[in-house]
Amino acid sequence: MLRHVLQRVLMAVPVLLGVLLIGFLLMQVVPTDPATVRAGPTATAEVVAQIRADMGLDQPLYMQFGLYMWRLLHGDLGVSIINNVPVTQELGATIGPTLELMFASLFWSIPIGIALGTVAAYWRGSLLDRFVTALSVAGGSVPVFFLGLMLIWFVGFQWQWLPFTGRGGPLWSLEGWQSLALPALTLGGTFIAPVARMTRTAVLEVLGAEHVRTARAKGLGEFAVVLHHALRNALIPVVTLIGLQIGFLLGGAVVTETVFSWPGVGRLAVGAILSSDFPMAQGTILILSLGFIVVNLLVDILYVALDPRMRGA
Amino acid sequence: MADIGASAAAVVAPVPASMPKRPGMLRRLVREPVAAIALAIVVLLVLVALLAPWLAPTGPFDNDLSVALSVPGTEGLMLGADGQGRNMITRLLYGLRATLMMGVASVLLGGVVGALVGFAAAFYRRIDGLLMRLMDMLLSFPAILFGLAIAAILGPGISTIILALSVATVPLMARIVRGSAMVVMRQDYIEAARATGMSDARLILRHLAPNCLSPLFVFATLRFGQVILLGSALSFLGLGAQAPMAELGAMASEGRDFLFFAPHIAVIPCLLIFTIVLAFNLLGDALRDALDPRLRV
Repeated sequence: MLRHVLQRVLMAVPVLLGVLLIGFLLMQVVPTDPATVRAGPTATAEVVAQIRADMGLDQPLYMQFGLYMWRLLHGDLGVSIINNVPVTQELGATIGPTLELMFASLFWSIPIGIALGTVAAYWRGSLLDRFVTALSVAGGSVPVFFLGLMLIWFVGFQWQWLPFTGRGGPLWSLEGWQSLALPALTLGGTFIAPVARMTRTAVLEVLGAEHVRTARAKGLGEFAVVLHHALRNALIPVVTLIGLQIGFLLGGAVVTETVFSWPGVGRLAVGAILSSDFPMAQGTILILSLGFIVVNLLVDILYVALDPRMRGA
Repeated sequence: MADIGASAAAVVAPVPASMPKRPGMLRRLVREPVAAIALAIVVLLVLVALLAPWLAPTGPFDNDLSVALSVPGTEGLMLGADGQGRNMITRLLYGLRATLMMGVASVLLGGVVGALVGFAAAFYRRIDGLLMRLMDMLLSFPAILFGLAIAAILGPGISTIILALSVATVPLMARIVRGSAMVVMRQDYIEAARATGMSDARLILRHLAPNCLSPLFVFATLRFGQVILLGSALSFLGLGAQAPMAELGAMASEGRDFLFFAPHIAVIPCLLIFTIVLAFNLLGDALRDALDPRLRV
């Protein structure tokens, strides 16, 4: 097990380096010169040259990459061009809300998706199964922003039940919960369809397996058969597939944050790109990629932890 | 978002090449009512998008501020007008055209490159490992990150989105094509063709590729829906088509400002996106069932 974990971590290293390199090159190809921007519009050529030397921008590219890595290791991602705030400070403030939104969405959508998928698989071919299947095909075709706008229009505006802009407060406050509700419903709502579909397929496969027949033959109740013997085994592929869908969730999160003005990394990234704030854009893309690599790694390890048969592989 | 496309595509097993071509694929497809309706919708949407300049009652940028925010059903404006007083029907027609073109370009570009990589990996075993590790790396990042990174470098625009979606499509297509090409490569007739001294290019084009087409088409159809969904989301964020160009995701985003007093401006483009994606998803599922009934679950 330990060996497997180490192996996976080692395999993530080249990807990580690639991401860092791309992040670095991203700053090289952008059309603005950071030294000129830092110096301001009234600076003389000597001042700009001085700042360029201070920032290490007169060094060869590989030296600059070394410097960039060194700064990165010290938590220095540069300063926003727009408001002069350190990028790491902004990232620190936005990661929390993004994680909050993603976890809250998963928290309610995964159980519902798994329940729908299991029910559909158990009563395969029934009206209920067809309903769930139709729902998951239709649900998988709804744009995230459509769902968000509809919730804003009905729940937020027409019925005035819940707030729909910004984050009302920390998670332990009532305002925090209320403001999280609609974004989490939106993001989670788009996640039910894929989870239900994957669960249905996985449970169908397990229901036909011999150990399920054995469980039935020894007189176990249907509930115990489905819950302990079928669903439990089906969860292994489902967990992995859910892990692989985290990228899909991330895409949804960026849109959801924008729709609800939720102060997360995704909204920060989009805002930075649209306002040509290159250091901030680079920082947000870097942190999202790193987060993604870590999640992939965790899913990989979790998969092996859940399924001992995979350990030899 | 490699994700949904990947899981949907993962179940598309290659059809053994030894299986004779069954006639009447299209006929079997349209016998399923759902598939027939989906196909009809797709054909209709494509026709309408192609004919947009002739069907549109006004020019794409013509506006009349006196009718701004008119609701659907207003005299002469069946679907109302947007915030700048542009006819919604015109905007939707051009928006549909832009959105579909974005989808076609992404699937085509990403699909062709991906297919080339897939064939190369299956045919030249020496570079297989390298190519597929590269594809795995691409696959480990969701499309949204490609979209953000490319927009940060090239700036927002419809070509940015096409590039991002193509890059995200390449590894998926490469895996599928490689998978089915590997099965075909084991067939005797490939060995026979090789024994006749046929060149690699000819062998791939004449014997390998034609026998890998069905999973490729199923994937492309399902991927098209995904690409539309992703692309319109990127456009909605402002990273795609820029004003005044009409594009469905961008139109939904513009309509957001008028949501509370003229919801039709955002809702109608959203409904149209939903219809496109749903039609392609249903058609893709039906194609998969028709091409390989064993996969029906």
